[in-house]
Formats: sequence, structure tokens, C-alpha cells
Amino acid sequence: MDSKKVYKWLGVFFLFTTLVVVFKTFNPLENNLFPKCPLMVTTGLQCPGCGSQRAIHYLLNFDLLNALKENAILVLSIPYVITGFTFDLIKDPNANTLKWRKRLFGQKAIIIILVIIISFWIFRNIV
Amino acid sequence: MKKYFYSDGVNKHGPYSINELRTKKITRETKVWFQGLNDWRPAGTIPELSSLFSFEPPPIPDPEVHFEPTQNFSNQKPPKTWLVESILVTLFCCLPFGIAGIVNASKVESRFYAGDIDAAHRASAEAKKWTMVSLWVGIGVGVLYFFAAFFGALSGF
Repeated sequence: MDSKKVYKWLGVFFLFTTLVVVFKTFNPLENNLFPKCPLMVTTGLQCPGCGSQRAIHYLLNFDLLNALKENAILVLSIPYVITGFTFDLIKDPNANTLKWRKRLFGQKAIIIILVIIISFWIFRNIV
Repeated sequence: MKKYFYSDGVNKHGPYSINELRTKKITRETKVWFQGLNDWRPAGTIPELSSLFSFEPPPIPDPEVHFEPTQNFSNQKPPKTWLVESILVTLFCCLPFGIAGIVNASKVESRFYAGDIDAAHRASAEAKKWTMVSLWVGIGVGVLYFFAAFFGALSGF
């Protein structure tokens, strides 16, 4: 690994650690240190991502229930996202891996995800 | 004795016996016909004519053949779709860019399994572009906001 890559990963690691510490320590509800959602500020509507920062704060403090209340879709997507990254890392997948990749991350799955995100968006604004 | 016709692409020649055919320049690709065939066929596909070109090497396989759309791609991995990254940016930063990424992820899948590999790679590049745009917009807004909040706090707001 060349030194440029080392610096890059050190930078990413440093940024990530800082973010984890900041999000764990401060509750976005009680601080104005955190950016607000532009859609929320301008229209008063919640987007599918609203509450992510609060959800992360609660997750880092092991408060799953409050995290779910702030942004359920974020919490529920974590296992899926981890699975997705794992599939991406497999270099030479065999037939079985590909079959599951297609089932979980293929076109049908993508359309279902889009429908879930948009339904969630509508639902959280009318309830 | 069986009689054969062959075609040079413009005119047909014949009828010839198989021994007379040996004196003609018949290759594996030359179209031949004899009674019993529905259509002209390349001489190379007819077993009884194989002695005509036993000294001619078989055709070199076309390297392009592996990329033809008729191939079955279910045993290969599609290009990176950027799906999970797009979902993350949708939830953390930039809804419109994230949705653009997810739509392009869907295109990567459909184009790939339809056999259009080039289009799949283009959609993959497009999905990557939108993911990167939202990543940097997110970082930019975050940094700006942090400084605004920091200096705001200093000046007493």
C-alpha cells in the first residue's frame, strides 16, 4: 500500500471516529451543531432521511426504541446495507452467491426499496 | 452419384460430383447445396464434404463472441450498482441525488440481464456519479453548517 492510500484511510478513520464521538455525545435535538434538513426548514415536511442524525445518536447510546421512533427506515436498513457491502466485496462469486445477490439486490428488490422509501415518506407526513 | 452445387456469392456453379469439387476453391464458408437440402449451407457444416478441406485449418474462434448479447449472463456478476451507497445518501443527505442513484442501480441490473453490457456499465457510472455528488454535497453542507454554528456561537447567537 502506498503512502497516499495510508493517508486517505487515516483521514477517513479520523473523520469517522470524530463523527461517532460527536453523534454519541450530543443529542441533535438539544444542539444546533447539526445541519437541519432543507426540506423540513423550507416546507415543514419530513423527508425519508429526517431524523437520521437523532436515530444515529440513539443507536450509539444503545437506545433502539428511540432510534426506531426517530427514523425506522434507517434502523431497519442497517442489516441490509451491511449485507449489500459484503456482497460487493466478494470478487469471484459462485452461482449460489449470484442467485442470492440477484434476489436481494436485483432489479425487483430495487423497485421494492424505492416503493418502501416513497411510501415511508408519504406515511410519516400524514400520520 | 450425388451432385453438388456451390455458390461464389453471386452465381451458382454445378452440378459437380464430390471429386470435381476438389478442383474448385471450396472453403468451409462456401455455400453449397444438393438435393435434399432446404437451403444453401456452409460447406464446413456438411460432414461428407469435410475431406475437401482437410488441409485447411479450422477457423480461428472470434474473441468477440464472449460479449455477444445472446450469451447467458446469469453466471456472471453485474457491474457495481451503487445501490447500498445510494440508499445511504438518500437517508443521510440528499434525497433527490439518492433517488437518482437508486434508479440508475435498477438500470444497471435490467441492462445487464438483458445482455446490454455497455449500457449496464454506463448506468453504473451514472449511479456512481450521483452517489459521489450527494456525498460531497453532504460533506460540504455539513462543514459549512459546522462553521456557521461555531462562529455563530462565538459571536453570541
